[in-house]
Amino acid sequence: MKLIKDKVAKLSFVALLVTMTAAIFYTPTASAHGEKSQAAFMRMRTIHWFDLNWSKEEVAINDTMSISGKFHVFSGWPETVDKPEVSFLNVGIPGPVFIRAGSWIGGQLVPRSVSLELGETYTFKVLLRARRPGEWHVHSMMNVEGGGPIIGPGKWVTITGTMGEFTNPLTTLTGLTIDLEHWALDSILFWHGIWYAIGVAWLVFWAKRPMFIPRHIAVSSGKAASLISATDKKVGMAFALGTVLLLGGSMGATNDKYPVTTPLQAGLMRGIKWIEMPAATIDVKVEDATYRVPGRAMQMTLTITNNGDSPIRLGEFNTASVRFLDADVLEDESGYPDDLLAEEGLTVSDNSPWAPGETRTVSVTASDAAWEVYRLADLIYDPDSRFAGLLFFFDEDGNRQMTMVDAPLIPSFI
Amino acid sequence: MSASQSAVRSRAEAVAVSRTFDWMILFTLFTVVLGGYHIHYMLTGGDWDFWSDWKDRRLWVTVAPIVSITFPAAVQACLWWRYRLPVGATICVVALLLGEWINRYMNFWGWTYFPLNMCFPSNLMPGAILLDTILLMGGSMTLTAVVGGLAWGLVFYPGNWPVIAPLHVPVEYNGMMFTLADLQGYHYVRTGTPEYIRMVEKGTLRTFGKDVAPVSAFFSGFVCIIIYFLWHFFGKWFAKTDFISDEDL
Repeated sequence: MKLIKDKVAKLSFVALLVTMTAAIFYTPTASAHGEKSQAAFMRMRTIHWFDLNWSKEEVAINDTMSISGKFHVFSGWPETVDKPEVSFLNVGIPGPVFIRAGSWIGGQLVPRSVSLELGETYTFKVLLRARRPGEWHVHSMMNVEGGGPIIGPGKWVTITGTMGEFTNPLTTLTGLTIDLEHWALDSILFWHGIWYAIGVAWLVFWAKRPMFIPRHIAVSSGKAASLISATDKKVGMAFALGTVLLLGGSMGATNDKYPVTTPLQAGLMRGIKWIEMPAATIDVKVEDATYRVPGRAMQMTLTITNNGDSPIRLGEFNTASVRFLDADVLEDESGYPDDLLAEEGLTVSDNSPWAPGETRTVSVTASDAAWEVYRLADLIYDPDSRFAGLLFFFDEDGNRQMTMVDAPLIPSFI
Repeated sequence: MSASQSAVRSRAEAVAVSRTFDWMILFTLFTVVLGGYHIHYMLTGGDWDFWSDWKDRRLWVTVAPIVSITFPAAVQACLWWRYRLPVGATICVVALLLGEWINRYMNFWGWTYFPLNMCFPSNLMPGAILLDTILLMGGSMTLTAVVGGLAWGLVFYPGNWPVIAPLHVPVEYNGMMFTLADLQGYHYVRTGTPEYIRMVEKGTLRTFGKDVAPVSAFFSGFVCIIIYFLWHFFGKWFAKTDFISDEDL
């Protein structure tokens, strides 16, 4: 019996070692941006990203790619998030794997924070230049002061080449041609090295002699004055004078070398142009909306009135960057990320064309695993259980009209 | 050997043990200060010290000296009153800068690939040398607080100007003017540090025109005097032997 126990103990120990060793070799890359952890209501009821386009899926070092598209600033902005009066168009990437070569909202360069208006729709573009090789998840993103980062959809982009090839050439207004990647690094290291050496020299001067025990004995016995000699004071004076002279000299030399410098540039940019959207001719009223937890499906009862002059059909429901499409009406050809695209996720009880002037109440169901994968189902745990999104209608010629929906959501657990 | 006997048998041995003890204490002091001061400075100075596009002529000049004079004042109080060693400020800054450079190289560059010319630390050494030498020559904590504290604030900007000036050269980019430091902040994407978080060039010192850095430095120096006194007393209190019972001595 003891023999069996010993063997089991040995084998268990070996198994433990094998498991621990195997765990060391399992080192997956952390590449997410926490987009799924962000509260569902924030993704659904703040910034709605649509018509996104990533210009490339593979890009070489030093080459550029862009993310462009539109975003709608939701008029029913939640009370618990500060309004986007100070916002910054950003990109969600793992550090500077790209440099941001340019970013525009409504055609205006936005290197600084901007003020956005609720209920308006803006075009945007971010130009990126590849810097570090690898496969990176590239998101659009809007940082809102008091609200945090509001992340848009992400797509995997591969950068090829080696980082050593990356350069960031610029010509300054004083006529200098530089590579910003390495600019001034030599003088940064030089001046830090000089001052560090002076500091170490001061320490060495004092550390060469007995330091703690004998000096403590002397101070305790009232002989502290004997510990500082006239030579010490002269050396101290030399260090102090040397410091002041070096400060003055280095300031003067620097001003001679760089006679033109300017302060850091800062300040909020206002007056960003939004898109003048055509007057809506479709009226949508949400009668009720429920989320069926076991089925991972949201069902809405909508009363839709077509006030336009051509028949329309409902083609897409877009919320939190997840696109639910009715495959009979709309097929995505933009290369939108698969995990955010439910190509047959939208079901309308009667999606025959709404004739001009017609009003019809229909049941619309948006169902896909994305509700669970992207943790949108967590909406039912939010403090303000409402949903919101964009509905896209299409006429026979493919013309599109966008309408917002915003209503309370009732969860169904059975 | 009983507990009442000496561990050393000659003066030479005593000197050798004393020197060994010196190096042990110095190493311990250096690493403890490196850790404590580094954490303190990162929490209070933070982004102003991390990024070139935060190193402005108003807030960086004001905030960085005020939050960085703390440990030097406390360590000076301990080393001066107990050992008459005027190295407290310098040892703090030498330790801090070593820790900061390790952090910037290993983490900022090694992990996240921010170029070092964007995330170098501020230079505090001129102020530290002046603080220690003023203490040495005056032998007075009050004089060190008033003259040294003021000097700590005043020399911060000149001590850093040779490092940051090349990054304040203007450049035109897509129809707007930037400094090279601004452009670094724009180019090298910081997902979690959006532009509006940057606290630079804010304030009401507009009547001083472009010469606002000396005004900020004077203000910083005055506050440094107060902070020096405060942290000097922290250091003095911390260096007491009251924490050890008489039986242990």
